[in-house]
Amino acid sequence: MNAILSNQNLQLLSGNHAAAVGAKLANPDVSPVYPITPQTPILEKMIALQSEGLLDTEILTPESEHSALAASISASLTGVRVFTATSSQGLLLMHELLHYASGARSSIVMFNVNRTVASPWGFWPDQLDSLAQRDTGWIQLYSESPQESLDSVIQAFVIAETARLPVMINHDAFYVSHAVEPVNVPDQSVVDGFLAPFQPSVKLDPEIGRSFGAPIAQQPWNESRQEVDRAMSGVGELVTSTGRQWGDLTGRRNCDMLEAYRCEDAEVVIVTMGSMCGTARDAVDNLRKQDVCAGLLKVRLFRPLPAEALRQALAKIPCAIVLDRNYSPGTGGILHQELKGVLYGVDHPPKLHGLLTGVGGVSVSSAKIQHLVTTYKDAAPSFEPVWTE
Amino acid sequence: MMQEILILGRGGQGAQTAGNLLARSFFEKGQFVQTFATYGGARRGTPVTSSIRVDDSPIQVRCNIELANAMLCFDDSLMDQAFLANADNKTAIVVNSARPAEYFADLGDYKIVPVNGRHIAKSHGMGKVINSALLGAFVAIMGQPGIDVLCEVIEQNAPTKKQENVAACREAFELLSASCVENSK
Repeated sequence: MNAILSNQNLQLLSGNHAAAVGAKLANPDVSPVYPITPQTPILEKMIALQSEGLLDTEILTPESEHSALAASISASLTGVRVFTATSSQGLLLMHELLHYASGARSSIVMFNVNRTVASPWGFWPDQLDSLAQRDTGWIQLYSESPQESLDSVIQAFVIAETARLPVMINHDAFYVSHAVEPVNVPDQSVVDGFLAPFQPSVKLDPEIGRSFGAPIAQQPWNESRQEVDRAMSGVGELVTSTGRQWGDLTGRRNCDMLEAYRCEDAEVVIVTMGSMCGTARDAVDNLRKQDVCAGLLKVRLFRPLPAEALRQALAKIPCAIVLDRNYSPGTGGILHQELKGVLYGVDHPPKLHGLLTGVGGVSVSSAKIQHLVTTYKDAAPSFEPVWTE
Repeated sequence: MMQEILILGRGGQGAQTAGNLLARSFFEKGQFVQTFATYGGARRGTPVTSSIRVDDSPIQVRCNIELANAMLCFDDSLMDQAFLANADNKTAIVVNSARPAEYFADLGDYKIVPVNGRHIAKSHGMGKVINSALLGAFVAIMGQPGIDVLCEVIEQNAPTKKQENVAACREAFELLSASCVENSK
């Protein structure tokens, strides 16, 4: 028996089932979910757990994703714990209410499986669905593996219920959602000790006369957004402290906003999110064997964008190569755009390349990433989108 | 050293389930595994690929398998150049087919072993459920993770006809083990 395996309480779970098990451990009161490929196994697993008597939640299956989110907002505002899940077109159908959910300061945790957006129709890993929601006021985390997805769901409830802002956790279709791997499932007692009951000071209650979301004048409307801004500004620290506490309990590492891998002496750093991080880590190890001093900067927290942490992580790096598994027509890769903003005005910023890599779910191998690094590390950056397939 | 394995079938044939059962068998033997299926809309009859990685240490790459150590094909009409692009002359390939090995010689310099999974499954009252028989044959050709662990995993996970599934798996394993020993001499 492999020593590492035998020392852990590991179960084989897909990324989607790991997300559902994470939700089960967090014990949500209400879970309104509409199924959509490739998210459906999350809902299926929750129903299976419920039917086995292992999950005590009210699963609502309304007629659309829009209604699922409407139910989630209302439930959350009554002060109960809410979990939902969706993907791609389903997330886009929720768009109007995504703004509402954050404006109303709900504490929903949503799991989104990153999938291409039609047209043309497809089911492939691509992060445009969630990145296109970056201005809706949701905290966004990107997960690399089934283990991280399970852990992130549990941490997300602490973050959402403390910040009074909804959290969206994202993982890539198939490469994470359908990847079956050994996953450490923590004991319920560990999660119960970590995640305090949700007890908001303000909530919808028929015993108390109070309006939520009523029309208000310009100045208080403006102030409502300043309140969201203040809440957002504390999220980075909250993600760090929550991840540290979770790590102390479980031994898990890398639950922070960013993860810097072999960046200390790096001459070139790959910056990316989601499933490609694992492949990029393998590429870094192989590049190092070829005497290329490469590193990886994984972005786990995308909203709020951890600007200062990104500036610090890239402060002494000569060259950064952003790999974007998304395409924003008219600009290019979204993470690349964000990093250009972050690095503006910094003394001696790294040379920054933005490469559209794996858009539409195209497979990106370790060998390909190694090739991209050696090709672009000494090249002049382009302001135009660079397609690598 | 990481091993990479591909299973190709048509939606509804059980290729994804076969991938999960095989991965679970390696896992039970103490190895790290990663298996994922890729498919489009849920349509019966369209190609479904199951990818399996096996290693002694945690697996971090997340991309398609480009060169497999072993491949299992559920339907000989899927044995085309696109599928074989993931193989070389060292890749162990098992195909569900009633045809003889010579039939596949024109495809190139590959190690292709046909097995009549449909016939074996039918003889055990399994009808069109061929994945347990094909897995038995595949494990014989690969030489790992072992027939006993595979049969245990099948018995634990088969929703119905547990003994029939296990019997079909063992028969295919024994049938192919004989030819495997012959080839290794």
